[in-house]
Amino acid sequence: MPFGIILKRAFRDIRQNLVTHLMTTLVVVLTCLIFVFFNLFSINLQRIADHFGKELAIIVYLKKDVSQEKVPVLYQKIVSIKGIKEVKFVSSEDAFKRLERYFSNEREILAGVDPTFLPPAFEIQIDKALYNPNRVKEIAKEISKWNEVDKVQYGKEWVDRLENFSKMVRTALIFCAALLLVTAAFVVSNTIKLTVYARQDEIEIMRLVGATNGFIMGPYLVASLLQGLLGSGAAVALAFLAYSYLIRAFGNSSFWESLHLQFLPAENIISIVVVSGLFCMLGTAMALRRFLKL
Amino acid sequence: MIGTEQPIIELKKVSKRYARDILALDEVDLKISKGEFVFLTGPSGAGKSTLLKLLYLAERPTAGSINIEGLDLSGLSRSQIPQLRRKVGVIFQDFKLLYNRSVFENVALSLEVLGFKREQLTKRVKQVIEGVGLGDKLYRKVIQLSGGEQQRVAIARAVVNRPPIILADEPTGNLDRKRTREVVALMDELNARGATIVFATHDETLFRNTHRRVILLEKGKIKED
Ligand SMILES: Nc1ncnc2c1ncn2[C@@H]1O[C@H](COP(=O)(O)OP(=O)(O)OP(=O)(O)O)[C@@H](O)[C@H]1O
Ligand SMILES: [Mg+2]
Repeated sequence: MPFGIILKRAFRDIRQNLVTHLMTTLVVVLTCLIFVFFNLFSINLQRIADHFGKELAIIVYLKKDVSQEKVPVLYQKIVSIKGIKEVKFVSSEDAFKRLERYFSNEREILAGVDPTFLPPAFEIQIDKALYNPNRVKEIAKEISKWNEVDKVQYGKEWVDRLENFSKMVRTALIFCAALLLVTAAFVVSNTIKLTVYARQDEIEIMRLVGATNGFIMGPYLVASLLQGLLGSGAAVALAFLAYSYLIRAFGNSSFWESLHLQFLPAENIISIVVVSGLFCMLGTAMALRRFLKL
Repeated sequence: MIGTEQPIIELKKVSKRYARDILALDEVDLKISKGEFVFLTGPSGAGKSTLLKLLYLAERPTAGSINIEGLDLSGLSRSQIPQLRRKVGVIFQDFKLLYNRSVFENVALSLEVLGFKREQLTKRVKQVIEGVGLGDKLYRKVIQLSGGEQQRVAIARAVVNRPPIILADEPTGNLDRKRTREVVALMDELNARGATIVFATHDETLFRNTHRRVILLEKGKIKED
């Protein structure tokens, strides 16, 4: 296959139909941009969910009538559970002291309150290295079955909701990806059809002088590959600019910092660019196949 | 000068029907040997162009079989068609040129599809274009040329890759006497170098005083050979 000539023809074709090619590339840019934003959102949502999940403690409230002697036994039981980093016992009195500190300026609120009205509790810190939302749920469930335990809290709903939302976003992402790929392939293949319609004479003549289908298709495939690669590359670049701008504008507040946001990892960027290029070529190949039948 | 060897082109009972009531070729039997120079003549609408179209596979026969260089065309796969067309240089009656491209680009196309290296391609293309007398119009767009000049571009494109078979469909239709003689001389020269030539024309003066084989086609049938 004379690849040099094919490349030359491809660039001549792009030059002569610059506007059409630019419009197609623009469609690819927009398509990929939507996808990139979705992907960025999904990835960071997952990161936030993970991050907060890791920070969360499980709080085990004991029944008020649990005797002091039981505490070390329970402590040992909790520590022996896998995936737990740290356990702290908070007695009713400790809890009351915390409350006092919290209301240090309005001490009178607590005046006359029984200092043991709060239940004693264990605060459990999950080992971050072993963190996994389901494991947290299991541990909480396990502990809540014990007789001495009144209630277990772990910010369950919050984490669950975040997890569910993140899952939904991921599903939407997959749908969106499929839809966008088809759209891009469709648009690109239609542009190619227009170009090919305009060049039917040339294609016929090329065939009559003995051009193979590969020789005829080559330049179109090269052009659409370029559209796919450049379009998706531009989309990633634009998204990165927007992302950097947002981080610069808001990123130095401690709230934003606590979110630990990140841009798309390299493997995502590479996949987006490669898949975009391949799909544009695929769309073109399908459009051309119809034309090149004898 | 009919050779004894296997014919390079052979048609057996070939018919071509375009529509129910248009029978362009009617059971044509024809053998052309390697190295022959054959005139194909007959009135307008006799089927000359149709016969040539069957040979370069622009059309498929309705019935009968065609052999070129021992290859049965009906059994040719799609990927083999370009291979066949590279062996057959065609001068089309309607030229089939790219009017917005230069003379050079049009002629170069035949070599580009073969994967010629730029340097060799340029040299050969220029040489052939000079051979048909358009050396001073290399980079002119074809649309700016006269009909006769366009015809010569079509001739140059058909012969630049030195095909063993040349099918010429009225290659002198738009040329004056002098240019016509030049084209016939060019065909003679290519024939002398070994190319088999089928020359369709209704200009009797081209073959009246030659010893060449003349096939007369009338209403889709061979009337005289
Ligand atoms: N694509 C086509 N569809 C239908 N009929 C066709 C087609 N091409 C040719 N014909 C018909 O077939 C017959 C033979 O046409 P052909 O072009 O082979 O004639 P020709 O001998 O080359 O004539 P001319 O000397 O005018 O070029 C004519 O009656 C023509 O109208
Ligand atoms: Mg004709």
